Amino acid sequence: MTQSRNENTRWAKRILQAVAPLRAVAARTSIAIDPPSDQDVAALIEAADRVELLQASTDRDDQHDLMNIFGAIRGYAEILYEDRALLHPAIVDTLPAILRALSAPEMPQDAGEITAKQQPAVVPRSVEPGVILAVDDMPENRDLVSRLLSKYKHTVITAESGEEALELLDTLGVDVVLLDLMMPGIGGAEVLRRMKANEQLRATPVVMISGRQDMDQIIACIQAGADDYLLKPFNPVLLQARIAAGIERKRWHDREAQYRRQLERSEKFIRATFGRYLSDDIVDEILASPEGLELGGDLREVTIMMSDIRGFTTLSEHLPPQQVVRLLNRYLGRMTDIILEHQGTIDEFLGDAVLAVFGAPRKADDDADRAVRCAIAMQAAMAEINAANEADGLPRLDMALALNTGSVVAGNIGSERRAKYGFVGHAMNVTSRIEDVSGPGEILISDSTLQKLPQRYSVGERRSLSVKGIAELVVVYPILGVNQ
Amino acid sequence: MSQAQGVVLLVEDNALNRDMLVRRLTRAGVAVICAGDGEAALTQMRAHLPALVLMDMNLPIKDGWTAVREARADETICHIPIIALTAHAMDTDRNSALEAGCDEYATKPIDFPELLNKIQRLVN
Repeated sequence: MTQSRNENTRWAKRILQAVAPLRAVAARTSIAIDPPSDQDVAALIEAADRVELLQASTDRDDQHDLMNIFGAIRGYAEILYEDRALLHPAIVDTLPAILRALSAPEMPQDAGEITAKQQPAVVPRSVEPGVILAVDDMPENRDLVSRLLSKYKHTVITAESGEEALELLDTLGVDVVLLDLMMPGIGGAEVLRRMKANEQLRATPVVMISGRQDMDQIIACIQAGADDYLLKPFNPVLLQARIAAGIERKRWHDREAQYRRQLERSEKFIRATFGRYLSDDIVDEILASPEGLELGGDLREVTIMMSDIRGFTTLSEHLPPQQVVRLLNRYLGRMTDIILEHQGTIDEFLGDAVLAVFGAPRKADDDADRAVRCAIAMQAAMAEINAANEADGLPRLDMALALNTGSVVAGNIGSERRAKYGFVGHAMNVTSRIEDVSGPGEILISDSTLQKLPQRYSVGERRSLSVKGIAELVVVYPILGVNQ
Repeated sequence: MSQAQGVVLLVEDNALNRDMLVRRLTRAGVAVICAGDGEAALTQMRAHLPALVLMDMNLPIKDGWTAVREARADETICHIPIIALTAHAMDTDRNSALEAGCDEYATKPIDFPELLNKIQRLVN
């Protein structure tokens, strides 16, 4: 034995001193100790009695026994501390001193030990008060947290179980959750897991509360998404600091979420407003550029396309309505696809007529070129449409097309309730006039469009037409084809 | 460690300490049988072939050192891992325990989580 008698006596005194409060508390009939903890308390006190008996002995074997008894006391104190959730807090309060007396390395020597005098002179920075949910199965702990946090004007809601916490979280807006790790029923780790699995609760900061010996579980909780932890018994200043940090995190998150919601709302609006008229990539582009959100009116040069089915009004009068709708849907559906493929913007459908614009809202160098290529593709598609019509016993359709390039005002036109991206200007009227004289199967383009085209198109003989409201004649050409 | 993996034999003469360790091991899901001296320990080892032995080295009748040496010399039980439990964290004790044939070593008072880790390591 290297343990000197004096040393053992010193230890014995320390331990007996440390056990005294537990003895006193356990002797109080008002404090119930449920099995199996009652056995552990009894065993610990019995061991302490043995220490009392043996401390003065000089017998070598007794000295050896003392070491074993210290071990037993420490073991039972650790068992009780592990079960502290089941114990009366008055009992739990006596345990750290016993464990410290036995210098158990894992015992709380933590911030909680800082006495009022030693508390760091940190003035907690002013923080917005928040709504804190304190989850702890022990009423004393809930009261303590409520008291400490109410001082800083926080609203503290308490839950005495994981189950109750989850229920409250479902209905309440909580800024920070203070979550006890060890609780009967749904424990802290499980509450955390369910919060992180829930879209609505995922971002709510969680501060875990536990004893020092649960460090492994605390680490697991941090890995599972807990924001922070506090060891019991916790220091009030630290508690306040962690809560403040949690609230700040939550506020940042809320602001971000609100901003995201705003963005989603404007995106929805833009998609609803333009989705039917613009190709997807143009909608994406508007959404990608912040200034794209402000589609105020602006004057811009565009190539305007107008098409209609020659004699459709007469035709439709001789067909049953279902067949008219079928004819129109087949025709307009195909034309819409082709126009969007060529990045045209469909302004509107008027019965069998289509009005589309190239160069707004997005301007490109080849707006006129794309418009002509689009027109050629549309005329080419008529063969296919007519073959399908013929197979269905529907009449043949002949489309006339007109293109004109000029300045228009483009922008959101209409009222708050009903607005659409539209175009206004004299160039629109000119296009309409050209369309009037365009023949079946023909593509008629104005001279202003021809000026914008590359050299590869062959055009037919020039024609001049007068347009109401302008003195000069408008010069137009039929497109005959593309030179390879 | 589940019970299916076998029992642990705890050899400890101090009743208080033995009861405490039985309680803690049982709580941790370890099945425990006990012996109070070195001779009883050998008898139990031969009779039950425990998965592991926790052996206090300072024992009456036959001390732990002798019991470990005899266990190592007995073909039927020499494979059973033994963790020595001694009062002093001195290197000489540690070395003599390992020399006597112990696989591991734990100092009293026992750091229980650490002891559990050692048991786990040796049994698996």
